[in-house]
Amino acid sequence: MLETESELHKKFWEIFSKQDRQKIDEFKYHMDKFAINFNLYKDGNFIERSLPFDVIPRIISKEEFTKIEKGLQQRIQALNLFLEDLYTDAKIVKEGIVPQEFVEQASGYLKEFKGFSPSKKIRTHINGIDLVKDTVNDAWVILEDNLRVPSGSSYPLSIRDTYRKIYPDFFEQLKIEPIKQYPSYIKSAMNHVSCGGINVVLTPGRFNSAYYEHSYLAQEMDAQLVRAHELEVIDKKVYFKNYNGKRIRVGSIYRRLDDDFIDPTFFNPESLIGVPGLVEAYLAGNVALMNAIGNGVADDKGIYYFVPKMIKYYLGEDPILHNAPTYLPYFKEDMEYVFKNIEKLVIKDVAEAGGYGVLFGHEMSALQLEDLKTAIKANPRRFIAQELIEFYDEKCYLDKELKDRKADFRAYVVMGEDIKVWQCGLTRYALEAGNYLVNSSQGGGFKDTWVMEL
Amino acid sequence: MEQLLTANVATNLYWLGRYIERTEATLNQIVIAYDKIIDVDKDAGITLYSNFSTELEYTNAQDFLEKAIFGEHAANLETLTGYARENAIISRNHLNTQAFGEIIALHALFQRSSNSIIEIDYKLIDEAHSLISEMWGEISKASYKKISDYFLRLGQLVEKADFTFRFDDDKTRGLTIVEDIHNLLHSLEGTEEISVSQKQTQSIDYEAIINEIHNKIQSLIIQ
Repeated sequence: MLETESELHKKFWEIFSKQDRQKIDEFKYHMDKFAINFNLYKDGNFIERSLPFDVIPRIISKEEFTKIEKGLQQRIQALNLFLEDLYTDAKIVKEGIVPQEFVEQASGYLKEFKGFSPSKKIRTHINGIDLVKDTVNDAWVILEDNLRVPSGSSYPLSIRDTYRKIYPDFFEQLKIEPIKQYPSYIKSAMNHVSCGGINVVLTPGRFNSAYYEHSYLAQEMDAQLVRAHELEVIDKKVYFKNYNGKRIRVGSIYRRLDDDFIDPTFFNPESLIGVPGLVEAYLAGNVALMNAIGNGVADDKGIYYFVPKMIKYYLGEDPILHNAPTYLPYFKEDMEYVFKNIEKLVIKDVAEAGGYGVLFGHEMSALQLEDLKTAIKANPRRFIAQELIEFYDEKCYLDKELKDRKADFRAYVVMGEDIKVWQCGLTRYALEAGNYLVNSSQGGGFKDTWVMEL
Repeated sequence: MEQLLTANVATNLYWLGRYIERTEATLNQIVIAYDKIIDVDKDAGITLYSNFSTELEYTNAQDFLEKAIFGEHAANLETLTGYARENAIISRNHLNTQAFGEIIALHALFQRSSNSIIEIDYKLIDEAHSLISEMWGEISKASYKKISDYFLRLGQLVEKADFTFRFDDDKTRGLTIVEDIHNLLHSLEGTEEISVSQKQTQSIDYEAIINEIHNKIQSLIIQ
């Protein structure tokens, strides 16, 4: 189902109808030429590939986006307060708003960091919040918070440049919000929390799926792109190893690897992509890490359920943006509801990400549903259940035809001195009709997102 | 000229310069040999590839072109440009974006031709030359030279000197390039400038010159 066409859409189609559609192929040419890749590992093989791109942008009115913006600012503020509270006083737990047992069982909760407060008490520096627009209420709904290492921003950034070259008419004739400022948001946030020194982007390396993004953002932010062994920790301070042997102090690290791999002396000793001693430097307050270690607890799919309560608790406000109706089998009454309605719910494994571990009740056989119930009963904390959100399709120009495809929207929120919401985002669409999974790792493509006004 | 750069990026830029120059210089030599094979010297390709320590066998000029560019040897241009592509991807955030695009396009060109059933001809060589020229052109356009540009140039010049000593009868051009290399090294680390072109070319050990340069570069980039 498509959203009702607005005046903005009409203006887009009017210009689109006058464009040379042969030129659509040039997008692929540009992406290949500049190796704008999202790499995959398939059957043990490394595959370099460009992300499928669709030329029809998602259009969001400036007015509508302003509401999303306010809702996201509110949500990130609350989530940051939650994390800071959880790792220091834990009042929210003591007051029973979020059950202690629930927090402690979250795989992203790191009790070793209890009592530590990072630079400027900011933990949620760079966030990717996944939303869809519900066809029933005609409202945006939050599906997921990504507060660890959200990726994807470089793709719309790169494609916008290409779009302007291939089809300048749209940008001449429509009022589309510019988007180039996103890397400067991150740079400002890094400078804000910096403990003195240069900024670096820490990448697992060339064969990471998002290496293009690491390299692109480092370049745009004027930061050094480094791998673990290009940093060195001396006396709990982090240094960049320059080619000529000089050591340059590092003040802020935008790390593109998960907590588990960041420091082999503290976490996984097998990690070859982490910096030995980094956690010690971080705990000594000598370097800022973006995002903070231990954020995984807040984007745990189970903790997601409590975010509206956090907003109320910390800010005394009602949430501007709502969650999808969610049930926690951990609670007895929720488990009963889930078991009664399992065939119409979406069941998610809280330990999985990237579209994995998502089960649609309506697609499962009776036997599979019984097996699922058994698994939920055995470990209720491991699952959440959500009402299936019928979200809007987006028009896509696929195989030279306009087709409707399910699409979500990842908004990027950067927290530094203030909270900034990027006037763009990553719209991801499913390649097949009727598919609800749009993740890039599930083969989904992406579109540009235009925030526009008349 | 202070610029931060990891040893890995410096090394990759240096090798990028070398592989691109090697590709261009090899293409130039292939064109010369191809022309001779047609009606002057059937063995010109064999002589050429003996300089690459490769025994190349071919039936005619066209076959030479195929074997020289895509044969199973160290000078295979799809492989060489593949290395250059890899160097460029690793160092891309210190490269001019357009120049980066030309390198990716150069490898894609050889890859496409290698997989194509259509016989290769001068068009492929012309296109490759154009892409390489455009790449260097983009890099030259920068009004302010950074350390990263110097490493790229260093790679280009070292390869150029190596090729000149291998293939040119008159070695003085190679010695001029060596002087340029020393000037570049001087800029990078403040080494003494030396003038080798003044010496008698007959008494010079060219391999030793190249080895000395390699050693200096190795000591310049601290891993």
